[in-house]
Parts: sequence; C-alpha cells; structure tokens
Amino acid sequence: MSVIRFEKVTKRYAGPGKPALDQVSIDIDKGEFVYLVGTSGSGKSTALRLVLRELRPTTGRVHVAGKEINRMAGWKVPRLRRQIGTVFQDFRLLPNKTVSENVAFAQQVIGKSQREINKVVPETLELVGLKDKGDRMPDELSGGEQQRVAIARAFVNRPMILIADEPTGNLDPQTSVGIMNLLGDINQTGTTVVMATHDHGIVDQFTKRVIELEHGKVIRDEAAGSYGFQH
Amino acid sequence: MQLRYVFTELRTGLRRNLSMHLAVILTLFVSLSLAGVGILIQREADLANKSLGNELKILVNLCIDDDPSNNPNCAGGEVTAEQQQRIETEVKANDEVASFRFVSKEEGFENAKESGAIPETAYTGPNPVVTVESWPAGYWVTLKNPEQADGIISALEGLDGVSVIKDERAALGQIFGIMKVLKYGSWIGSGFLLLAALLQVTNTIRLAALARRREIGIMRLVGASTLYIAFPFLLEALVTAIVGVGLAAGALAAFQYWGIEKGLAEHVQFLPWVDWGDYGESLYGWFPLGIVFLGPALTLIPTLLLTRKYVKV
Ligand SMILES: Nc1ncnc2c1ncn2[C@@H]1O[C@H](COP(=O)(O)OP(=O)(O)OP(=O)(O)O)[C@@H](O)[C@H]1O
Ligand SMILES: [Mg+2]
Repeated sequence: MSVIRFEKVTKRYAGPGKPALDQVSIDIDKGEFVYLVGTSGSGKSTALRLVLRELRPTTGRVHVAGKEINRMAGWKVPRLRRQIGTVFQDFRLLPNKTVSENVAFAQQVIGKSQREINKVVPETLELVGLKDKGDRMPDELSGGEQQRVAIARAFVNRPMILIADEPTGNLDPQTSVGIMNLLGDINQTGTTVVMATHDHGIVDQFTKRVIELEHGKVIRDEAAGSYGFQH
Repeated sequence: MQLRYVFTELRTGLRRNLSMHLAVILTLFVSLSLAGVGILIQREADLANKSLGNELKILVNLCIDDDPSNNPNCAGGEVTAEQQQRIETEVKANDEVASFRFVSKEEGFENAKESGAIPETAYTGPNPVVTVESWPAGYWVTLKNPEQADGIISALEGLDGVSVIKDERAALGQIFGIMKVLKYGSWIGSGFLLLAALLQVTNTIRLAALARRREIGIMRLVGASTLYIAFPFLLEALVTAIVGVGLAAGALAAFQYWGIEKGLAEHVQFLPWVDWGDYGESLYGWFPLGIVFLGPALTLIPTLLLTRKYVKV
C-alpha cells in the first residue's frame, strides 16, 4: 500500500523560470526507506514540502496515507501533519526549553495528556540515546545530540512517515553514521522514512531505494541504489 | 489544552511585550472613555430634547388679563374663545407647521414649576407673585423645518389674543449645537484613538508572532490546530481589552459621579441629567455600541484576522 504518491506533480513557484518539480510521479510504500538525491535546486525540499502540505502542487496530485491532500480543507491539515514527523538540517530546537521540554512540546501542542507525556518522552529519549540528557539545554549538546533531540521530537507522536531534509548536512561523517543508524531503527518500527540528502558516503554505505531528481524531473529510481557518479 | 500551559503562555506573552501592551491599554482606555462620554452626551441631548422641546418648536403665548407684554393685541384683556379659535385656525392652515399642541394655564404653570423655570419663592407663601391666573395658556407649535418659521410668526403676530411668540429656536439651537459639537468631538477623538489602538494591536501581534516564529513553526509542523496556536494571542488581546474597558468604565463612573451628579446636576437644575442607567447604557448599550463590546471587538477581531495570516497552516 502506498503511503506517499505523486501523480504527475508540477510545482511552479511565483515568477518566471522553470518549474521546481516537473511532472513528477513517485510511489512510496509503507515501511520503505527512500533517499531523495540530486544537485542543489533540483527540487528535493519542494517535494518534501508538498508532502507536508506546506505547498500545493500547481498541477497533479499528491496523496498521503490514501488521501489526496492538495484538495484537503485547511482545518484538516493539522491532522495530516500529526501523522508526519519532520527533521531538518538545522535541528530547529527551542533554545529556551530543555531537551525533555522540546520533545514534550510536540505532544503538548496537540493536546496529549500530561500522563502520556510523562511516559512517552523518557521512552523516546532512551530510543534516541539521550536517556540522561533530558534536563540539558540545547546549547549544551553537540550537533549530533541536537539532531537526536529533533528526531525524538519528530518521532514522539509515533508518526506514520518521517521526513528528513538533509539531516546529516551539518554533521561530521562519524556522527552522521550514528544518526543514520537511528533513522534505520525508526524505519524498523514500520515508519516510512523519506530523506533528502547530498551525502554520497551515507547513500553508498546505507544502501536503500534512491530517487534522483534533476531540474525537477525524476531521472533515476533504483530499489538499492548508490549516490551516482558525476555528482 | 492544559490550563497551566495557557496561563504560562499568557504571562510570558504579556511580559515579553509589556510596553506595547501598556500602550494598547492606555490608548484603549482613553478612546473608550471618550466614546463613553460621547454616548452620555447623546443621551443627555435626548433628555433635554424631551423636557425642553427641541429646536423645531416655537411657543405662542395667549393674552392674560392685564398682559405684561403691553401688546396692543391684548387690549381686550384675557384671550376670548373666538380669538383663540381664530388663532388655532391660522396655525392649522399654515404649511410651515408640522403639528401643534394646546397648553392650558394649569399645565403650563405646573411645567414651569417642575422644571425650575420660576423660583420656588415666587409661587409659594401667602402672597405669591406668580399664580395660575397670571400664567398664560399657549400653543407649542412644532415646525417642519427649524429654518422656516417666518410665515407662521408673521401670520400670528398681528392677531388679537396673541401676547408673545417665544421663538426658542436660537437659544435651544445653541444648547443642542454645543451638545452636538461635544458629542461628535468626543466621537471623532475616540475614533482616531481607536484607530491608533487598532494599529498598536496589529503591531503587537506582528512583534509577538515574530518573537514566537520558531515556536509557531514547530507547532504548525507537528500539527497543532490553528486555534491552539492563535489562543495565546487571543487571550492576550482579551486581557488588554478587559483592562482597557475596566479603566474606561472607572473613568466614566468618576465623570458621572463628580462631573454630573455632584457637578452639573447640582448647578444646572432646569435640565434633567443623565443618571446611572445612562451610564450603564454607555457600557453595554447596543446603539451606539457600549464600550464593553467595543473594546474586545477592537482587539479580538484584528487578532483573529492577523493570526490567521501569520499562523496559517
Ligand atoms: N519559496 C520559493 N520561491 C521561489 N522559488 C523557490 C522557492 N523555494 C525553492 N525555489 C526554487 O525551486 C527550485 C527547487 O528548490 P528546492 O529547495 O526544492 O531544491 P533542493 O533540491 O532542496 O535544493 P538544496 O539541495 O539546495 O536544498 C530551485 O530552483 C529554487 O530556487
Ligand atoms: Mg533543500
């Protein structure tokens, strides 16, 4: 069953120029781990933002979890996003909250009970390997640890899909491997992971399905691909 | 939504932007007070209108025995039934007249006593200066247009039995004119300040949204509802509105007590004055809208519109 489906999706931003995505059709099944690769400006982030309904396609259709989300009413969008966890290159933690509070925040704002929060947050911190660091502030953590907090926050509501836009972009290779192992663990729980990346080493080391974009078009879709040569 | 979260948010929100919130509160306070004063003046004008008549009226006094006006029309002494008939016919026929009402000696005398137009000493005691017999009967003539009374005045002037035509348009016109100026003055002033309050509210929200943009971004991303995200903003807006309305209600109460009840009402007794019922109207009346509705509407509506813009999913 496909969890994410693009049907001839074209996304044109305001202004002249080529579309950021051009007639893209993609099908991602439940439980898959997919890399989205391509040169800068090839449309990776645009594709991810379409899944979150931060953007709407100019033409074509985007389906998430069986629903066509581009026609979804605005008030239903929060419910869609509760099924999707998101991680970015720049972590986006709240600097004035502790690690635990940052993770708990994602539960609080969707109305989870304090009892559930007290139970699930420590579990999730343990999962990402930060069991003893719940009381630290984000600026007291290394980059890799901060990204783990961000992943904990994205995963704390047990989303169906995890979207990661260059999650290792700011990390050294060794730390990146740790993050990849964590994303792999999360994928093992049945969560579909879609990860946009520039990181050759990672893509070649952790072999997964690779979808390559160029100028907004899919030029490659391999079940167990490598990053590619000329990039 | 946890209550604790709401109050923590509210406290940090108010503190983060304290000077802006104070500015909004003070502007609201002054503008709502002015709006309330305008409403009170409007009600005062209505009251005065009822008791004094308005600038559309002229009073035609009929002759009494030994008429003090020395008008030759009164040479025959007290007005006769035929003379009165003639006068009434003339009034009826005149097309400047909208309506008229006969005021008997007794009614006129009572009205004058009640409204304080004659001092109490003049009609009490063993030998009163003013009595019912010495009080003229008359007609209250309501005009169609306050500018046009020449025709009716000249038609009545020469008639036997007409003693004086009291044209109160000028004096009343002045009183009502002053009230109008004060009323519209306070409303215009209030309007400008309300506009200023509106702009301040807009600015406050913009700044608050900016200060919280990272937080709001995450809330949207993890699927918090728009209402949840907007809630702290709405609560802040409501709190500033409540404080502004409270201060204005206090100021208006002070104005009503010291300005009207212990001030004007004691010195100017021939006019009825607005009371606490009218004060209540200025707070929660429907037309014009009382400040209890005006204040929150002014902060909540722009907040709703703007948060929809800034917080949009
Ligand atoms: N908000 C925007 N408004 C206008 N054009 C945009 C906007 N966002 C992206 N673009 C354009 O759309 C194209 C695709 O951008 P996108 O961010 O999806 O690329 P990307 O593959 O994520 O690149 P990178 O690897 O550098 O992150 C680019 O040409 C970019 O300039
Ligand atoms: Mg990108």
